Amino acid sequence: MSTDPYNARVRELFAAPEHAGDLAGGATVLADDQGVRVVISASVADGRIAALRFRAWGCPHLIAAVEWVCSHYEGELLQALEKFPVDRIMEDLAVPIEKTGRILVVEDAVQSLGRSLNH
Amino acid sequence: MADPMIYLDYAASTPVDSRVLDRMREVAEMNCANPSSTHAAGREAQAIIAHAAAQLAGLLNVDPGTLVWTSGATESDNLAIAGGARYRAHRGKHIVTMKTEHKAVTDVFETLARDGFDVTWVEAQPDGRLSPETFAAALREDTQFASIMFVNNETGVIQDIEALGLICREHDVLFHVDGAQAVGKLPIELGRLPVDLLSLTGHKFYGPKGIGALYIADRPGCHVEPILFGGGQQRRLRPGTLPTDLIAGLGMTAEVAAASIEADLEHLRRLRQILWEGIRDIEGVVLNGDPGGFPGILNVSVEDIEGESLLLALEPLLVATGSACNSKTQEPSYVLRALGLSDKQAQSAIRFSVGRPTTRDEVEFAAGHYRNAVARLRELAPMAAG
Repeated sequence: MSTDPYNARVRELFAAPEHAGDLAGGATVLADDQGVRVVISASVADGRIAALRFRAWGCPHLIAAVEWVCSHYEGELLQALEKFPVDRIMEDLAVPIEKTGRILVVEDAVQSLGRSLNH
Repeated sequence: MADPMIYLDYAASTPVDSRVLDRMREVAEMNCANPSSTHAAGREAQAIIAHAAAQLAGLLNVDPGTLVWTSGATESDNLAIAGGARYRAHRGKHIVTMKTEHKAVTDVFETLARDGFDVTWVEAQPDGRLSPETFAAALREDTQFASIMFVNNETGVIQDIEALGLICREHDVLFHVDGAQAVGKLPIELGRLPVDLLSLTGHKFYGPKGIGALYIADRPGCHVEPILFGGGQQRRLRPGTLPTDLIAGLGMTAEVAAASIEADLEHLRRLRQILWEGIRDIEGVVLNGDPGGFPGILNVSVEDIEGESLLLALEPLLVATGSACNSKTQEPSYVLRALGLSDKQAQSAIRFSVGRPTTRDEVEFAAGHYRNAVARLRELAPMAAG
């Protein structure tokens, strides 16, 4: 049994978060809870999420989760933001159960982003 | 291909010196007897153990008869504290230690507290040192036992054991020192120090894991009750078949340390300076603990950085968090919190510990890698994070 607290996917996303950064002119939301902080910004084109960028302060699982989320939603219809795949994230990233609250902070950010973009 | 790992966790454990390995192999191949056996092979095992005791006693400048073999520092601490406090319990049940001690000490004190002992936890100064005045003020008429570590395992802070021991002697208090991070690393004239009990372990100074010792000074009133039972070995203080090869290894470890301790210290001082000079100008970096502490340990915190991410970003450096952090509790180090660090400062703490095999190239790489990791995580963080 591995005692490594991070699986290969977390290590990969943490090492090279392709969506790290900001988007000028897009919608930006902040979620700040559970001792972590997530900022996601998005641009929209033709009813789809054209690009997503993030900044995050937190543990490797959180950073990997936000990168995962950005990859997941990019190119999708705006309505996709209404569904947050918490179970897939927990499984793909092997997030320890005690860190569930941090993933829910990411969910808060995504839902906030959805509301912001639909206005 | 992954970067080769760079081991900078010598305060956690050290590689076994090749001379020690040779000695252990030699003994293991030459003698399989139980040292308690009275036949020729048993007597030979006894002689091997006596030689090892002389080697360790030589490092510490004590009589070999004052040493009791144990499985390591944790057992030595348990035997010294539980055994010492109980031995003197008829005279009083007040016992004293510091908040910044290793768990192998604090947990025993907490157990004794549940058994009716009255514990005073003395506070360190912000630099981690214990003021002799603070220590003296904590002692009472009914104080019978005190335990203070020589070198702190997280910060490298060195306590003034001589001054603290003299206070204990003045008050007739049995004085135990956890020497796990000090023995074989600092020159210690134990026989000349006012110390009654001292714990040590082999694997912290290039010896094998699973073997340690407790020094019990040969003076009136200095004694411990056993905490293990089951045989007459070691004057019934610590029964159990003695591991001849491990003991021979610890003896050789002590002999090697005695010959190299000054050169080792100079080597560590140079490395620590290179490391610290390489990172000290990073915005928000602070050195935790007394800067004049043991040079093998450098404990640093940095503002606005999440400790768990920093640890992962620092790979392939093998370092320790200053915290006793684990993924379940995320608790920041109680040692650093006791020095006045905030939870976030303590959580970002990294302990670099260098050793005899560490090279200049390794610490230069470590400094550069730490700078890059901090910069990367700051770039990733939202403004006004934390």
